[in-house]
Amino acid sequence: MLISTFFLHGHLLAQVPYQQIVRADSEPGSWLTYGGSYRSQRYSQLNQINRDNVSQLKAAWVYQIRQVGIIETSPIVADGVMYMTEPPSTVTALDVRTGRPLWTYTPEIPKDVIVIGSPPVNRGVAILDDTVFAGNVNGHLTALDAKSGVVRWDVTVEDNKKGYYLTLAPLALGGKIIVGVSGAETGIRGFVDAYDPKTGSRLWRTFTVPAHGEAGSETWGQDSWKTGGGSTWLTGSFDPDLNLLYWGTGNPAPDWNGDERQGDNLYTCSVLALNPYNGKMKWYFQFTPHDVHDWDANETLVLFDAQLGGRERKLLAQTNRNGFYYVLDRETGEFLTGRPYAKQTWADGLDAKGRPIVRKGTDPSVEGNLVFPNIQGASNWPSASYSPQTKLFYQAAREMGTVYFKGEAPYKAGTACTGGGGQAVNGDPAWGAVRALEATTGKIKWEFKLLSPGWTSLLSTAGGLVFAGTEEGNFFALDAENGKPLWDIQLGGAVRGIPISFAIDGKQYVAISAGYALFVFGL
Amino acid sequence: MICLAATIATVEPLGSQARSDVEEGRKLFAGMCVTCHGFEGKGGDAPSLNRPKLVRAPDDAALRALIADGLPERGMPRVRRLTDNEIGELASYVRSLGQTAAVTAPGNVQQGRETYTKRGCQSCHVIKGEGSSLGPELTEIGRLRGPEYLREAVVDPGARLPRGTLPIPARGFSEFLPVVVVTREGREIRGLRINEDSFTIQLRDAANPNQFYSFRKTDLSRIEKQSGKSLMPSFSDRLSKPELDDLVAYLSSLRGAQ
Repeated sequence: MLISTFFLHGHLLAQVPYQQIVRADSEPGSWLTYGGSYRSQRYSQLNQINRDNVSQLKAAWVYQIRQVGIIETSPIVADGVMYMTEPPSTVTALDVRTGRPLWTYTPEIPKDVIVIGSPPVNRGVAILDDTVFAGNVNGHLTALDAKSGVVRWDVTVEDNKKGYYLTLAPLALGGKIIVGVSGAETGIRGFVDAYDPKTGSRLWRTFTVPAHGEAGSETWGQDSWKTGGGSTWLTGSFDPDLNLLYWGTGNPAPDWNGDERQGDNLYTCSVLALNPYNGKMKWYFQFTPHDVHDWDANETLVLFDAQLGGRERKLLAQTNRNGFYYVLDRETGEFLTGRPYAKQTWADGLDAKGRPIVRKGTDPSVEGNLVFPNIQGASNWPSASYSPQTKLFYQAAREMGTVYFKGEAPYKAGTACTGGGGQAVNGDPAWGAVRALEATTGKIKWEFKLLSPGWTSLLSTAGGLVFAGTEEGNFFALDAENGKPLWDIQLGGAVRGIPISFAIDGKQYVAISAGYALFVFGL
Repeated sequence: MICLAATIATVEPLGSQARSDVEEGRKLFAGMCVTCHGFEGKGGDAPSLNRPKLVRAPDDAALRALIADGLPERGMPRVRRLTDNEIGELASYVRSLGQTAAVTAPGNVQQGRETYTKRGCQSCHVIKGEGSSLGPELTEIGRLRGPEYLREAVVDPGARLPRGTLPIPARGFSEFLPVVVVTREGREIRGLRINEDSFTIQLRDAANPNQFYSFRKTDLSRIEKQSGKSLMPSFSDRLSKPELDDLVAYLSSLRGAQ
């Protein structure tokens, strides 16, 4: 019966034109981009599941992945199909009613693939028209037919032998597929790329580290820019009205030894505002100049509008890995406000322009130097969330320090070029918290404590809820206004997946991956 | 039986490059390795390294690989990515530890075994299948822990509780952590933490080790995690100095099936 409905309704005629993605907010039953919409708020306007009934949430179906690994996917849901990714780089389409697979695509990954800097994971796909786009750890971008999983085209974004690889969900714009790369731990030179969705031909490339003679190159010592890092490994955001693409950049290379790269190391640890037509930079803001702790600024860039300084402004906010929450004017890049949202011991605050006032003696050393936040940051790839309903910015903070070490950093293509590392002070002294920040000020309104620093992304909904998970396998819902726990379940594996919400046949569901499975819950 | 006072290999003179490597390796070791392996590799909550033969690193290639990759299942992390040169320096230093002058560990293994039995240690510890399991198993404790750590564990058991090495319960968390909980009805329970998440906690009753408890945290009015404490009493006043030396020598001799 379900199957006949499935075909009768033509749900396999997956078609998601660009304008539909622009209007994603008007189609809350779908989940059309990595962050739910171009604003990356990870907010669902669905309210069927709400404060009053969330305690009755039950599993609707479970999908077990094929190959053991860490699931960090944020599924896309469109036209009755869920597109998820499995580690390391498999794409699977599921019947959203039952979880039964419709097709799977697994790229050939060489056994000697170079993945340095993260586990071999994938965070999701993009969809545009009738095509699904996915990156892989071999440094490729692949276009798949949304109905069958058949490859339409496959291109090498950059050579994996040099350390380039892809874990991010691409971002589909009108006539362009935008991707970034991982690999700063091997001394790559990062960039943001745009590809033609129909042919796979590259339309533009914008490097995140300027070449000798270009603006910003004076912030690099000698030839250090050539291996300067600045990965672009997480999906950016987009403002169609301003026609600006926002993309975060990662650490300079080598990570923990900055001796050979004296200067601010532009445009690492920054947000770049790019013209999506040609990749040209309109403005940038650097969060951590001359970073020596691996505090990438790739974290989710959340776009929202609010009254600030007496007038309505278009804003961009990020809970940065360095422990500070930032609010910028997204038209100009002007720094508006910033404050710590987690314990940090490396800066005496931010100056009027948002530049950190760095404390002496906080650099890594041969003997080791304890600094907060930890080596993986007070935040990282897990998504924050913003609720237009509560006007709160939700973030899972990681309260942990690291003993940072400085080491040698010789460059050899395709090998680790990190110049040190760190030992996180984990266990009982470390902890985490889901925090609600006043979005325009960063002041903490409430927190819900977690046993350990997690890797949980957050989803807020119009039902007045915030969904989150823990390293210990809990998945739960909090009251978005006050952080009170309303429902929880033990899923038996660390929650590393990224929650989304969708509706099918008039019913709202919430999806989350944990351990080696994807779970879907409904009333 | 393996005695700690092992025979030491002949010390060969080192060339200047080798001496430089050892010195650089010492700095790296001081930063990354001392916390667990102890000063000069004398052992801590990880094995001592001042031995001519290392079980898991019988040759230089194995030692380099072990330093590079760690032993995650045993709790040895890869603290950071080291260059080949740095690995070589660390390996040189670790090898030099096995060439230092012999140190005769005090204590008599056989008498230590008798002390262990006489003091009733088996009422909480298992060795080769014998004993009760409230405390850590000791069958290969001499391989896993250095003598200084074992001495401290007898004298001040709460000072350094073992830390978890596996994802379950959780890496880095204190094991055998004493916890006092009070239910909303006012019932107090003392026990050892077996597991915990953000919403629940599982305990083993201190008075009745056969009794397990599972609580939702919302059903508890108080959860007191007694970091720095242990259910095991201190034996500092119960053992003479020679008895303590003997017991540490006995525990150090426990190396599993070898």
